Amino acid sequence: MYNDKNAQTIVEYIQNFTRKNSLFMLAYGTGCGAIELPATLTSRYDAERLGVRGAATPRQADLLLITGYLSTKTLKRVIRVYEQMQDPKYVIGFGSCTINGGMYWDSYNTIKLLDKYIPVDVYINGCMPRPESVIAGFKELQSLIAAGKADGAAKYKENLEWYRENQKKVLKNWPLVEYNW
Amino acid sequence: METSLIKEELLAQQLQNAFENIVTEAVRKDTVFAYASKEQVSSILLYAKEKLGYKSLAHMSCIDWLESDEFELVYIIWSPETKLNLFVKTRIDRQNPEMENMDMIWRQLNTYQREIREMFGVEFPGFVGEKEFILEDWEDAPPMRRDFDTLEYVNDTFFEREGREDKQDVRERIAKRSGEEIPDFAKKYSRE
Ligand code: SF4
Repeated sequence: MYNDKNAQTIVEYIQNFTRKNSLFMLAYGTGCGAIELPATLTSRYDAERLGVRGAATPRQADLLLITGYLSTKTLKRVIRVYEQMQDPKYVIGFGSCTINGGMYWDSYNTIKLLDKYIPVDVYINGCMPRPESVIAGFKELQSLIAAGKADGAAKYKENLEWYRENQKKVLKNWPLVEYNW
Repeated sequence: METSLIKEELLAQQLQNAFENIVTEAVRKDTVFAYASKEQVSSILLYAKEKLGYKSLAHMSCIDWLESDEFELVYIIWSPETKLNLFVKTRIDRQNPEMENMDMIWRQLNTYQREIREMFGVEFPGFVGEKEFILEDWEDAPPMRRDFDTLEYVNDTFFEREGREDKQDVRERIAKRSGEEIPDFAKKYSRE
């Protein structure tokens, strides 16, 4: 264990431990899936016992929840919101629409593969996923964070050009912010 | 039991008497159709609104008749007194689709006209409204036209999840199972 290069340092361990237990979530209610969130967050399923709760603005949030299909018009705002969020930040794709287009796979105005446009840490499948699976998704994200593997934000910085290229393919005349990290 | 269509017949007759060259039909309970030429529509709508009390515009929509190369515009208006729906229908040329702007009769028509302009490419000369309605940066053909190939557009524009290319065409299977025929115009969308 001492010689394992990949092992976390004690500081990282504590960081990840605290991060995983206080996930402030920005539920971006794009598709029908958003309707499962009130149930997930309130007393019946009570996601707050896992430390997951709502955040008011992108800058206060750690976790972006994309709850369903994204029209190209919404994608612009989602990208904007994602870029406003501060590190550490995580994304959960929610429902089959974000995974492969779901039942909107042949719609002219909805994207099919969310992870081509922003990095996604966890996908929850189902159309729409029940609160149980949402909570399972949160648990999965927590274990990824604990293992230090939820590094979507770093991936986004590294591959910004690739993401931008994909984004520009659908957002033709939309000014996307240039970054020079 | 056949319900009598007295109110509906009356309205159909009223319109018939007021306008030449229109066809009216009391289709079913609470519903009357009036087929008119493009030029007559505004006067029919105004007459119905001012004289007959059809004050409320319920809807305006557009139908793409690709086979006969026409668009059909439908205005649905409703009267709070008689509680009847009047459908005023007209057909316009599909190659050069233009319709009179009528948003001064009902302000709401502005929104419907913007939608139809964007989704079907029907122009309303003299009409003031933002060019973009729901779509943004749309450069292709109007998407609700039936000759707009959605699938081709989607395949060109969006990504496909690898390993998901084997989607089955369930329509064929369902049609076979229940012994139905897929109509000819729908066959070109079949993947089998
Ligand atoms: S996956 Fe299903 S429930 Fe979720 S947004 Fe798509 S269609 Fe709606």
